[in-house]
Amino acid sequence: MIRLFVRSFASLCAAAVLAGGCASPCFAVDPAADPVATVITLLGSDDADLRAIGLDRVRNGLEGPQATTAIAAIVSKAAPTRQIELVRALADRGDGAAVPAVLALLLASPEAEVRAAAILALGQLGSGTEVAVLTKSLAAQDPERAAARRALERLKGADVGKQVAEAARHGEPALRPTFIDILVARRERSAAADLVSLATDGDERVRLAALVALAKLGGTDHVGGLVDALLKTSSAGERAEAERAIVAVCTQSRDPGRATEIFMERFKAASEGEREALLPTLGRIGGPAALAVVDGLIADPDAAKRRFGLKAITRWPDATVAKRLVVLVGETQDPAERAQLVGALIRIAPLPDNKLDDRQKLELVKQTMALCATDEERARLIERVNAIRTVDAFRFVLPFVDNATFAEPACKSVVELAHHQKLRDAHKDEFVKALDKVIATTKNPELVERAERYKQGKTWERKKSS
Amino acid sequence: MAYDPASLDAPFKALAAFDWGHDAAPLAAIDAAVIAAHGDAAARDDVEKRLAAILAPGPTRAAKEYACRKLSMIGTAACVPAVAGLLGDADNSHMARFALERIADPEAVAALRAALGAVSGPLKIGVMSSLASRRDAASVPAIAALLKADQATAVAAAKALGAIQSPEAAEALAGAAGAAGGPLAAAIADARFECAEALLRQNRRAEAAAIYKAVATAAAGKPESRLIELSATRGLVACADTLAAF
Repeated sequence: MIRLFVRSFASLCAAAVLAGGCASPCFAVDPAADPVATVITLLGSDDADLRAIGLDRVRNGLEGPQATTAIAAIVSKAAPTRQIELVRALADRGDGAAVPAVLALLLASPEAEVRAAAILALGQLGSGTEVAVLTKSLAAQDPERAAARRALERLKGADVGKQVAEAARHGEPALRPTFIDILVARRERSAAADLVSLATDGDERVRLAALVALAKLGGTDHVGGLVDALLKTSSAGERAEAERAIVAVCTQSRDPGRATEIFMERFKAASEGEREALLPTLGRIGGPAALAVVDGLIADPDAAKRRFGLKAITRWPDATVAKRLVVLVGETQDPAERAQLVGALIRIAPLPDNKLDDRQKLELVKQTMALCATDEERARLIERVNAIRTVDAFRFVLPFVDNATFAEPACKSVVELAHHQKLRDAHKDEFVKALDKVIATTKNPELVERAERYKQGKTWERKKSS
Repeated sequence: MAYDPASLDAPFKALAAFDWGHDAAPLAAIDAAVIAAHGDAAARDDVEKRLAAILAPGPTRAAKEYACRKLSMIGTAACVPAVAGLLGDADNSHMARFALERIADPEAVAALRAALGAVSGPLKIGVMSSLASRRDAASVPAIAALLKADQATAVAAAKALGAIQSPEAAEALAGAAGAAGGPLAAAIADARFECAEALLRQNRRAEAAAIYKAVATAAAGKPESRLIELSATRGLVACADTLAAF
């Protein structure tokens, strides 16, 4: 291990040497001397390399809390930059015996960077006792504020989550959403009940933060509360977050089946008006029980109910309703309804993880193509086909490159499919010809560039959306 | 599966002519026999003899490599002469070492020791590396003598002594340190740190500190040796620390 250190340490020191720091470290270390005193002397050196040796010992050596206390005692006397490096080393050491000294530094230092380092160290070394002081720092400016948030996210202690949840309920109004975010970062599932009550708080920012948090921390016990919150939402954004949280709990929580059952029970017990409000969520959750409800509404002679039923089924999360949608397209006489239903088919047919295999997906695409009434619908479908990453999907879409109306979406699909090297290499000749055709056809310079790159066996990095 | 010697005649015939890229399926029976020989002394002897025979002139290089790999698992003193016979062969020396490094019997390391004086160039460096991997203290005098050889051999000797880590190895390194320069000086310093680290692991702090102190003193004041001096200083501090957290 020393050799490992020697190598890493050597690279650590190399910069100093190259920078011309050639002063000899000739340090008379006496192996028989008190190691703590030796390290303290090293830490006081003006030679950064010798201080690095001392800091390494603080991190990895010097047995016991007494050594920690002795080292921590010199923090207050050091220059600010050295205070920062020493506090970081004490934090990495992980001994809570340094907490009083770090706390004293936080309260006494006039330097924001030093206080931020102390705050971060408290996050590593502290316990529930430090929540109050960190909460206070959260109200400061950066870098203290950012450090306090990070510290509260990582602070250990059984009661820390409880205290943060309490701050989210009754703390400084401007900071309450931040406390909720901290609960999410801490994965405080035990705070989910508090979050449910915060989802109907008087402060919209708190409500939104709570709903976002419940999507990650909520479970079966919170479905009822989330439904209540959804029914009380006052804005489209809030409604979307509530819906997202319910869908997340009903599809991704530890017991999604039970969560969905609870949602369905709540739905059945709801008033007619509430049901209308819950229908879009029902559609996004999907499943046989939800489909039975939706089918009943679609079959209802009441036009409004049918409209809600259709809205729900067109938001279905997978292709299990594909046949039902195809039947409904055949039955409807209303062009708007037809467009809505075909739009749903265009969305779900090639959807990854839509419960169909690739062959079935392509069959559904072909079936949907036959149902499309407008070129706009056909173009949308052609562009979506690239989600099916098979050579058959490629062969389906390729002829549309020659059709002036669909050339651009077809070119895009061909290029997207060519992006997948395994698929491209397995059918190299076909893809090269197709990419040549794309280059000659498309007016989109990005597609031309990508096609050229794929032909040369190169990859292409998708620009990240801001 | 019971061991069946007669069933191995054809696979060993196939092995003798085997080459890389050929179908390896016929060798599966030998793989199975090596496994079946576990705990069956007679079977082990038979398979070992057959594998050792592959190392004689005639069979392909690929066959010899295969045989060495298998002998590294089941080989004993009995196969050592056949394996050691390849140590001077540039094509097969590395595979012979692969087997001899792993055969537990002392004859294997003795064969490596004997070969050290008989081979030259890269093969000598390879044999030193194998003796180092066996941490063979008995080979220290021979390896120490090579600290005065050409640079590549001398650097390899320093590394080998650093791996052996015996007091004699540490002494030999200390003796060569003063006259060495360039890459050899760095290799010797690194090897001495290896020895000191081993002592520290055994809680022989005073002995470890003596090595660190000597290295630090020798490097003191030389800008080109600053990293060595710093590393030695760090080692000295570690010797003073009762918590061996490295």
